[in-house]
Amino acid sequence: MHHLLLFNIIDQIRALGWGGAFTLLRNGIVLGSLYSLIALGYTMVYGILKLLNFAHGDVFMIGTFMGYGVLIAFGGALAPTIPFIPLILLMFAVSMAGSGVVGVGIERFAYRPLRNAPRIAPLISALGVAFFLENSAQLLTNSAHELYNGYALGGKNGNFGPLLNPVFTIDQVPVTVIMVIVVLTAIALMAALVLIVYRTKLGKAMRATSFDREAASMMGIDTDRVISMTFFIGSVLAGAAGVMYGLYIGDAYFFIGFLFGLKAFTAAVVGGIGSLPGAMLGGVLIGVVEAFATGYAGGQWSEIVVFGILILFLLVRPTGLLGSPAIQKV
Amino acid sequence: MLKKVGAVAAFAALVSVLVATTAWGSAAAPRHLSAAAAKTVKCGKKVTIGVAYPETGPAASLGAPQWDWANFAKKQWNKSHKLKLAFVRGDTQLAGANPQAVQVGHAFASNSKILAVTGPAGSQEVEDSILAYKHGGLGVVSGSATRIFLTRAEGGTARETPKGSFFRTVPNDGQQGDNVATFIHKVLKKKNVRIIDDEEAYSQGLAAQVKADLEATGATVTTDHISQQNPDYSSVVAGIPNNTQLVYIPWQVPSMAQQFFTQLRANGKKQIVMGSDGTDDPSTFKGAGSYVSGFPVDTTSPALKAFQSAHGGDPETFGLPTYTSVMVNAKAIAGACKAGHGKTTRTAIRKRLHKVTLTKTVSLLGFPVVFLGKNQGKFQGPGDMGGTAAFGIYKIQKNGTYARVG
Amino acid sequence: MSDASDTPGVPEPPPEPEAPEAEPGSRIGIDSWVAEADQRRARGRGPLGLAAWGWESAPDSTKLLAFVAIAASLPFWLLKSEGDLFNFGLFTLIFVGLGLGLQVVVGLAGLLDLGYVAFYGIGAYAYALLSSGYYGHHWPAEATLPIAMGAAVIPAAILGFAARRLLGDYLAIVTLFFAQAFLVFTNVTNPTLFGKGITGGANGIPNLDPLTFFGYKLTSTKQLYFFTLGTVVVVAAAIYLANQSRIGRAWRASREDPLAAEVMSIPVNRLKILAFIFGSAVAGLLGAIYAAVSTAAVSTNFNIGVLIILYAIVILGGFGSIAGVFVGAIVINVSFEFLEPQTDYPSFKRWLFYGLIIFVIARLKPWYRAAVILAGTVGFGFAVHAVVAAMAGHAWTTGKPISGAGWLTHWVVIPRLNHGNFDNFLYIGLVLAVMLVASLKGWWRTIALAPTLYLTALVWENVLVTSPGVTALILFGVMLIVLMAIRPQGLLGTSRVEIV
Repeated sequence: MHHLLLFNIIDQIRALGWGGAFTLLRNGIVLGSLYSLIALGYTMVYGILKLLNFAHGDVFMIGTFMGYGVLIAFGGALAPTIPFIPLILLMFAVSMAGSGVVGVGIERFAYRPLRNAPRIAPLISALGVAFFLENSAQLLTNSAHELYNGYALGGKNGNFGPLLNPVFTIDQVPVTVIMVIVVLTAIALMAALVLIVYRTKLGKAMRATSFDREAASMMGIDTDRVISMTFFIGSVLAGAAGVMYGLYIGDAYFFIGFLFGLKAFTAAVVGGIGSLPGAMLGGVLIGVVEAFATGYAGGQWSEIVVFGILILFLLVRPTGLLGSPAIQKV
Repeated sequence: MLKKVGAVAAFAALVSVLVATTAWGSAAAPRHLSAAAAKTVKCGKKVTIGVAYPETGPAASLGAPQWDWANFAKKQWNKSHKLKLAFVRGDTQLAGANPQAVQVGHAFASNSKILAVTGPAGSQEVEDSILAYKHGGLGVVSGSATRIFLTRAEGGTARETPKGSFFRTVPNDGQQGDNVATFIHKVLKKKNVRIIDDEEAYSQGLAAQVKADLEATGATVTTDHISQQNPDYSSVVAGIPNNTQLVYIPWQVPSMAQQFFTQLRANGKKQIVMGSDGTDDPSTFKGAGSYVSGFPVDTTSPALKAFQSAHGGDPETFGLPTYTSVMVNAKAIAGACKAGHGKTTRTAIRKRLHKVTLTKTVSLLGFPVVFLGKNQGKFQGPGDMGGTAAFGIYKIQKNGTYARVG
Repeated sequence: MSDASDTPGVPEPPPEPEAPEAEPGSRIGIDSWVAEADQRRARGRGPLGLAAWGWESAPDSTKLLAFVAIAASLPFWLLKSEGDLFNFGLFTLIFVGLGLGLQVVVGLAGLLDLGYVAFYGIGAYAYALLSSGYYGHHWPAEATLPIAMGAAVIPAAILGFAARRLLGDYLAIVTLFFAQAFLVFTNVTNPTLFGKGITGGANGIPNLDPLTFFGYKLTSTKQLYFFTLGTVVVVAAAIYLANQSRIGRAWRASREDPLAAEVMSIPVNRLKILAFIFGSAVAGLLGAIYAAVSTAAVSTNFNIGVLIILYAIVILGGFGSIAGVFVGAIVINVSFEFLEPQTDYPSFKRWLFYGLIIFVIARLKPWYRAAVILAGTVGFGFAVHAVVAAMAGHAWTTGKPISGAGWLTHWVVIPRLNHGNFDNFLYIGLVLAVMLVASLKGWWRTIALAPTLYLTALVWENVLVTSPGVTALILFGVMLIVLMAIRPQGLLGTSRVEIV
């Protein structure tokens, strides 16, 4: 059966038609927006510290639980005690702020003591942080899968609420409110990030620190503070992604951070690690490739296709889509 | 140069010493059963059962209810018996960080306090560790390892556990799959079915069985897969062909079934969804019009109600067979202790396991527990439950309650 | 801390050991070995120092011999029980072997290979396919072990060749995806060959033959232990000899500076591939042994979690140090096994826990600070206990600890009733308190320590002992963070000067 994969794919493309293709494209872009937001955190930290922050996926996971906590505190999606729009805003606020603080804490206690250590040491610290966050979350949530049931927000008696109303349709394929929210929020947050990085003093300091930390500190930049802020911003984005993940996909679980983070990280690499527009582009690209691989070749192939493309891509273009070729200093 | 020669010489000496010790160690080593198997132990007031389940790792959400049910069984038993139960637990980390099932097996086997074992949870974990248990003279009673071949040689595949060492208090994939396929074919009369497994051993086993059965009836079966760790099903949903009438999702996590159902409907697809006993959880999976297979439990049973009220009214039953397994072990130990006048051996307890019977009220499963001594029907073998042990099929009503339909 | 500066110019012959540590941040440009020479000499005092000195000056073959002598005697005294020998002994050795292979790739050649576990898995599957009833081949181990090594080497060579130009982190990513793809391939894709799925899917391949050499079967744990010990020694010796040879020097040269090495006409790319091959051969061998030991090859046993443990072993022991791998594997595996729930010593674990806390306090200087903290903690506990009993009632203070000591019941608040969310607040509170203590200084820290220590005991008794498996992983994570913060170069690694 497996050697007929190519024929299966062709059959499936025919069977799903244009509507199916649009659906997959839509799914990919929405999912990719989430990847992008998380990928930005990876890429920013890498840019400034040359550190693969393996714990970032778990910050995202903590974000989904924070959003869930707020949701439950106000009665849950099936019987909310306050109107759903302020509820969602509150979820975003708490989760973004909370994740930001978690990110700063991680930097302060796990990475800062290792500023001058060999580069592999913080990598191990990052693994330690990931273990710590994941299992703490497991302990606190009693290993349960927690459903947001976001579909019911604003709806009556557990029926589909306004989040699933179509905003517009292409070839009978609906694009729902929540999908638009995810994509627009992601774009808005990225725009804000670009403004911060390229238009503010802090952004200038960040760019300087990422270019040459030592020189930046000699120029009077408080590099520790800049690094802290970088972690804060990256984690805030992950927190926002967490809430949107909860509303759109729905299942908060202590283990989701690993694979989701890995894919976001893939996105950062494909885009060219260290490059902000690269992370955004890479996220959407990975999301779309994954959606098409899943829809056309089947769920068992999605990861192999994503990772296979990535391996080939890196072998051909090791610096990613928008990464600048590393100049080796001698 | 001299240093190098010295190093090589020292090295050669080492290797020869090691080879000698290996040979010597082997001569002294026991071949099949460790001494623990036949060692006489005093039953005293408290006997210990080992409980092997995934406490950590991605499958922890399955292990947690199993542990809850095991503890509940302990409480129930200790209420009414002089011989009290105690637990030692083992974290097998189904699909987890390190190869723990086999390590738990060896730890239990050499812990002379442990007289019987509940678990391990997954079929692959049983395969991994059954020889360690057997070596220690222990029998294991699993509440969720459902692979057919663990108890039955079939179609060129050998039986994968030694007879008399493995029992289960859950009907196997063959029984459940057959039930489900018959229901789809005879009652629902659906001819075009999509089966989506979740890449776990439990799910793959059920999917294969239902697929084979349905294809034998002439139905068209297509397959897909999702990963338990990747909960975005939108593209899997998009890949379901429009002429599909029913989607069978033999998954282990009820919330995943609920999400899948939501995403299916949100994408305007109308297929019937059919889950397995893993998704049988009225508090989570509420997709009206869907079906699940589940234990024909007596919902009025006071024990079941006591469990529900102690766990926030959650009528989850995936972990229920673990309760039954503890009861089977407890009864075997109590029987062996009585027969040996307060003393017993692991071997004596293990040999008692297949004689243990539980009534419908004690087993809580909705049917009595009787273990088979030989093959029965198409799928059951020694170590499986015989009699009326089978899953029922339930339909999810508009208000989220489950009604038995098959 | 400030003691060193009190005696600035005393002309005593033993030089102040603190001198090179005065400015830990600015070591660039200083040869750290020279800078720490005085410190090294200063160590040789007392019995411990003497032992350390003896160990350092012993030739490497003697060290290996000492290790083997101790390891070979373990089954007869410390690890008498078969379960202990299996979990503490055999698995430590398997981890040592795997760590050695990884050390070659990561530590010696400097390649961040995150696909290492895939080669381990390939070895296991090769053994499973050739020595089991699955396809009906029952080949002896003297044939399957080399084949398993070969099966692991071929993909490694291809991957190494394809990735030879990738630098640091990009190589890590490519190999990581290779590992992930391997998992998906074995678990799900499982292509059909000779009428069966070649990897057995999620169930894997069960019922493997025991290791059989020339008709001689290794079945008991003791036999497997000694066989694995021999294998590990052979691997360690081979790596040691390779490292002392021209190849080893070239590896280190290209690790430190690939560009300079290339200029010196060292074939850097070929050496990279060679390191890959070396490492994967070891992984394949250990994979086959592991498969035989656990009698099944199941794909989830070769996932990223195992890789993380292996990296922890290599880096904890010391980057590039062969002896470090032994130390790292022993520390990590023993502490892991010991914390696991199946290791059934709850009261011993309790004593270890409180003992460790008291040990840490006792090391504080001056002594009265330690005394204040200890007295404060004990007093604070009784006060809290009394307050809770008075305010919240009997049910909140009369619970029993999970095991062992009853004296705790008057000190630690253990509620008798179900206290769901309360546990969560306690835990989060503890994490915050520890962070607070870590960022405070001087007497403020002393004052904050007492309630924090009490909170630690509270969380331990109420939350952590109830889920030992989760606790083990949390503590593992914390251990990695703390160890890296204290000693980033690993236990036996030498701190290297980063060239900027």
